[in-house]
Amino acid sequence: MSSKINRHHYHHRFNAQIFPPPCPHLAEFRARNGSKPFRALQDCLRAKSPGGRAAIRRDPSEVPRCGACGESARPRLYACVACAAISCHAPPGPSHAAVHATSMPPGHEIAVDVDRAELFCCACRDQIYDRDFDAAVVLSQITTLNSATIQSTKPENLRKRRRVDYRPWSPDLRDRVLMESGSSPLDYGSDMPRGLRGLNNLGNTCFMNSVLQALLHTPPLRNYFLSDRHNRYYCKQKNGVTNTNADGKRNACTGDGNGEKNARLCLACDMDAMFSAVFSGDRRPYSPAKFLYSWWQHASNLASYEQQDAHEFFISMLDGIHEKVEKDLRKPHNQGHGDCCIAHRVFSGILRSDVMCMACGFTSTTYDPCVDISLDLESHHGGSAKSASTKTHHSCNGEADSINSGQNCGISTLMGCLDRFTRPERLGADQKFFCQQCQVRQESLKQMSIRKLPLVSCFHIKRFEHSSIRKMSRKIDRYLQFPFSLDMTPYLSSSILRSRFGNRIFPFDGDEPDASNEMSSEFELFAVVTHTGKLDAGHYVTYLRLSNQWYKCDDAWVTQVNENIVRAAQGYMIFYVQKMFYYKPSENQVAS
Amino acid sequence: MSGPNEDNLSPHTQLSSHFFGDLLDSIIVDVASECHRIAKLGLDRNLEEEEEELRLSTQARVRVADPSNSGETNSKYVVDIFGQTHPPVANEIFECMNCGRSIMAGRFAPHLEKCMGKGRKARLKATRSSTAAQNRYSRGSPVSTYSPHSNSSSTNRLSNGTPGIAGEEYSNGTLEEP
Repeated sequence: MSSKINRHHYHHRFNAQIFPPPCPHLAEFRARNGSKPFRALQDCLRAKSPGGRAAIRRDPSEVPRCGACGESARPRLYACVACAAISCHAPPGPSHAAVHATSMPPGHEIAVDVDRAELFCCACRDQIYDRDFDAAVVLSQITTLNSATIQSTKPENLRKRRRVDYRPWSPDLRDRVLMESGSSPLDYGSDMPRGLRGLNNLGNTCFMNSVLQALLHTPPLRNYFLSDRHNRYYCKQKNGVTNTNADGKRNACTGDGNGEKNARLCLACDMDAMFSAVFSGDRRPYSPAKFLYSWWQHASNLASYEQQDAHEFFISMLDGIHEKVEKDLRKPHNQGHGDCCIAHRVFSGILRSDVMCMACGFTSTTYDPCVDISLDLESHHGGSAKSASTKTHHSCNGEADSINSGQNCGISTLMGCLDRFTRPERLGADQKFFCQQCQVRQESLKQMSIRKLPLVSCFHIKRFEHSSIRKMSRKIDRYLQFPFSLDMTPYLSSSILRSRFGNRIFPFDGDEPDASNEMSSEFELFAVVTHTGKLDAGHYVTYLRLSNQWYKCDDAWVTQVNENIVRAAQGYMIFYVQKMFYYKPSENQVAS
Repeated sequence: MSGPNEDNLSPHTQLSSHFFGDLLDSIIVDVASECHRIAKLGLDRNLEEEEEELRLSTQARVRVADPSNSGETNSKYVVDIFGQTHPPVANEIFECMNCGRSIMAGRFAPHLEKCMGKGRKARLKATRSSTAAQNRYSRGSPVSTYSPHSNSSSTNRLSNGTPGIAGEEYSNGTLEEP
């Protein structure tokens, strides 16, 4: 595959950014003066409008002029940090800033751009960066904005649990005796990947089969069930039910399958049975009949023979696994920490939503858990395929569009969809948001970002469009490009916030002081659920990536395919898993 | 920024050209300064990788579209990787866990639908009773319940432009216990 450009060479990372070493003049300046001069500038930092760029002005009505030539209209005017003298710098023309640095005694090399609040070294003739200066700028902007976080749910899970090193475990003699006493090792004759097994179509159930195949090969989910973390025999025993068939016969005539059967209903048990069957080594197609039966009892409003939506099934299934967790231990999902059940532990992330009043800058922030991200395809062809890498923070001033790099190749891409998902969006005049500070409804700017990434990211592409007005629905067949490796860093709350505040060096919401933070944003594709055909007469198929080989799971038929087939396929649900897992110490007591 | 024939331009035009030039220079410096910061702080996106992925996808689509390539054949008549063939309709036989009858796999879902009293036909019978009002609140009208589409109300939560309901918890919001 493609080679990765290594950006990590000689800079060290702080808060997931590179922190460039200071130039000798800045180093000397700091050695002599510390960070006081930068922090003192905080009083002079003024934003022209809420959420706007900070400028340096001694008083609000000041019009800075170059001390040497009197010009005020130069694109760059620099104020010396040592003596506050303002000089212009206009290459290829004269640089009075450079003249100031050389003509004065040493210590006047560091200046600040009065319009952009950027540090400049007049000797090196280059823009420089300083952590304390940036902190001063951000703090001045925050104070101006007077933002508050209205949290609908307190993100408790955001408390940092320290990471621990992975300690490999292998069974000791006593463990081996235990393991072998009631079981025999599986014999995987061929080299075929384990767990690869077709699923019989039970009658328009490809929507279910496709999602099940993806889940059967979702690494953390697979590991959970194969590690016997939900033992269906033990679960049955605990719920005190012996034989469901007998019950079934008795209740057959009541018609809605409630009561006794529900006590035995456990989608996790059915999943456990399915994992056992699929990984058993038996390669004949498996019929997920019991699972269908259980799911229809759980989601009775979806129980019908017609073709269903795979995404709807996915959500319903996760909910089903969550519901059936022991009631005493069941924690509500609203925290998004995923401690409630394995389904949420694997798929649950946290989204952050910021709504900023355009009149006063007051920002209201909410956090909400999510198990996947649904993305719109552009409604018109040839929409911006790639946003530029620079998102100017001017966008907070009102321009809802990010600057395009101009490389519009006309293809929709997953990253393009994510860019659109996280871009600041103006809530129009008909959608005014009540501002706590202004105490009236104001036009606002809304921006989404990802506060916490799940272990497994499922992206749902909204290909089915409904119009209740026109009473019609249609399917959007347009191709969507998706990468095999995905870096989610640009969509994190820390990145979005940082960009909003001019990309300053500052710990933003979600920044972890862990040097390995950037790796937990890297994801790798492992499953793609595709839909072909029409809205009401279509077919779902799943492509699985096992040991870097792609397999097509079309109900009972499992075949090997070239990766080009997958790249060219019409993705409907795209599954990515974190490249690297980190371990945190367990909160459970373990008997030694 | 000078016009083509500066001498011929009126003082007004010269002045406006001059102002325009200053504004343009200022904007250029804005962008340069921002890009400089992003590059120096390592905040730029790995465009090389992104472009590589895009290139691979474009290449893949070309190759797949080429009729001379052995593309995907209709899976139903193919031998799978384990060397097995399967009939178009799954013919495994097992017992229905609701009524105990022996059912063929490929016909299990329609059987189960009737067996459990679910499905549109069974529902329409029930609709005439008191459950009708209940149905109205679960995901809209009974008709839309069976649509094979994703429920837009559950996905709207994440789309941009949803006004002022940021506090709403994201949930499928529709699943009700029978």
